[in-house]
Amino acid sequence: MSNIKIKSKNLNVYYGQKQALFDVNLDINEKEVTALIGPSGCGKSTFIRCINRMNDVIDICKVEGNIEIDGIEVNDKELDVVSLRERVGMVFQKPNPFPKSIYDNISYGPKIHGKGETKSELDEIVEKSLRKAALWEEVKDRLDEPGTGLSGGQQQRLCIARAISVNPEVILMDEPCSALDPIATAKIEELIDELKKTYTIVIVTHSMAQAVRVSQKTGFFHLGKVIEVGKTEKIFKNPDNKMTQDYITGRFG
Amino acid sequence: MNLVLIFLITIFSLSLFFYGRSKTKSISIQNNIKLNALPKFYGYYLVLWCSIPALIFLLVWSLFEPVIIKSIIIETAANQGAIFNDKNEANLIYEKIKAIHLGTFFGDIDSILKESAISYAKFLNLFTNSKIVLIFGIVIASVIYSLKKIKNNNKARDDVELILKGLLFASSLIAILTTLGIIFSLLFESIKFFSVINIFDYLFGTNWSPQRAFVSDASKITSAELEEIKDAFGFIPLIAGTSFIALIAMLVAVPIGLFSGIYMAEYASVKVRRISKPIIEILAGIPTVVYGFFAALTVGPFFRQAGESLGLTVSSESALAAGLIMGIMIIPYISSLSDDVINSVPQSLRDGSYAIGATKSETIKQVVIPAALPGIIGSVLLAVSRAIGETMIVVMAAGLAANLTINPLDSTTTITTQIVMILVGDQEFDSPKTQSAFALGLTLFIATLILNYIAQRAVKKYREKYD
Repeated sequence: MSNIKIKSKNLNVYYGQKQALFDVNLDINEKEVTALIGPSGCGKSTFIRCINRMNDVIDICKVEGNIEIDGIEVNDKELDVVSLRERVGMVFQKPNPFPKSIYDNISYGPKIHGKGETKSELDEIVEKSLRKAALWEEVKDRLDEPGTGLSGGQQQRLCIARAISVNPEVILMDEPCSALDPIATAKIEELIDELKKTYTIVIVTHSMAQAVRVSQKTGFFHLGKVIEVGKTEKIFKNPDNKMTQDYITGRFG
Repeated sequence: MNLVLIFLITIFSLSLFFYGRSKTKSISIQNNIKLNALPKFYGYYLVLWCSIPALIFLLVWSLFEPVIIKSIIIETAANQGAIFNDKNEANLIYEKIKAIHLGTFFGDIDSILKESAISYAKFLNLFTNSKIVLIFGIVIASVIYSLKKIKNNNKARDDVELILKGLLFASSLIAILTTLGIIFSLLFESIKFFSVINIFDYLFGTNWSPQRAFVSDASKITSAELEEIKDAFGFIPLIAGTSFIALIAMLVAVPIGLFSGIYMAEYASVKVRRISKPIIEILAGIPTVVYGFFAALTVGPFFRQAGESLGLTVSSESALAAGLIMGIMIIPYISSLSDDVINSVPQSLRDGSYAIGATKSETIKQVVIPAALPGIIGSVLLAVSRAIGETMIVVMAAGLAANLTINPLDSTTTITTQIVMILVGDQEFDSPKTQSAFALGLTLFIATLILNYIAQRAVKKYREKYD
């Protein structure tokens, strides 16, 4: 049994008057892929955005309850968000490379966190990150070209490389394949499989097949509540809850 | 007279609307046929057909009538023995004849003028009568034509669409033709100017003193006179002064405008934004003449006094005062345009940057601004073209002497100021001095055209990237 990396306790989130999450209790294991599934608007993305405090960006969003990473409270007002986000990287639904060169896209994070003082150290980080994201071979000869010029799948891998560049412990992925074609999706899934050796990964997905393929643990969300959490195999073969059963067999959602 | 005619045509054609509508309805019922369009389209069809040809005819007639009558009258006056040497004198006589006809002429009326005034009245009467007859003819013809059409159940909807399209096209044509007209008049007057003054003497001359050029008639200029005025039209001091003041203005406006744009777009809460944005935009609504006297009466003297207390000689009209105030005038343009482009940078880019641990200012500096840069450059270029075209502030606060200087405390002058100076008061229209204003106008026009083109390209390129 692997260690628990992230632990949420009675997490409630509000957008203005509207409550988006209700008493979410969820444990995420270290160096494993945890998939979050559920119909649109059920709070999956809201939940993972709590882990790196990205909800701070939204003015009307209010978070109550606890999330701990390695026993450290994330919602602590005293906590340094910058170092939290250094430890918890994120990949978004739509590839969002910066309007900079491929090289600068990757070196952006390390520079911000004061890693890689010299050019050669930076070069090394860039190469290592791109290799880990399985993009190096494709872009090594055009590192100074704009990242926005890559194909959709390459852009998403660039964004993964960017997240890896600061050497985080956790990577959050918010439907990372929803804007990609099946081939690019397969590549990303392969990559996720490889990355889980080093990182704890939480992935939000709308594709049951994807959840089955990449994850070890699955959580089913519905209307802001966690309905069922368990080993992926169990959730998809033999769920305890009727609602989970209905969702994964496509009867609603 | 014309107003009465327009009124009659309008009333008549509008009343035809109801006729056309009910007529086609009854035709459709009587003959039991399906109309090709809704009855109201037949009404529109009649209205358009009966009003437009007549109104166009009236317009064209009113444009040409005075010209034709004038030439006829001048010719008859000449035949009767009136003497005039050139066009101006002919015009004078024509004006006299008109005044006599209206009974507002108080002078000696000789027999020639009297005769001419009588024939003027005759012609005027003839023209008016034939105008009325012709218009009635046109209206009747178009009523007969269009009634015949609708009785044959024509495709009135398509025809109405076509006529409306034609009307809209005509409106845009007027706008385009006006622009072309202005450009060509600038161009032709400038060509006249450059036929006297060498274009290279103009473009590269360093001395601007058009008041030296007294020559009244450019076509009869002597070589001695030409030698005298040849180097009076040097463009360099003007473009130097213009650029210098624009530069000072940009030094003020770009940082303040850009920073306030960033604040509005990234930091200000909805509440603050809702209040402060309109206030900044009020700045853009202040008439430039108000800025002008503020610059001339407050800022200029203030700089002079401040300079004196420091032991500097500051002229009361200075490039610094004009540039500073112009910069303040331009702030809202840069601020609101860059606010817009920064706002249209997708939130996903900011999220990507925050998610990796960047702070707000790091994100703005390294992601948002680079992404918005083409748009920001575009807004700055638009502001520059405003700055070099701005007139009132510099006329009031920059000075008139064309000094070639880079001392901001000195008075200097700009292209627009000189155009104003050349054209105020009574002018000989064919002297090189007056024509030089057109050359300046043309140069200014080309400069702002190029700037605007580059700016719009930059903004457009930026939009394509993120749409």
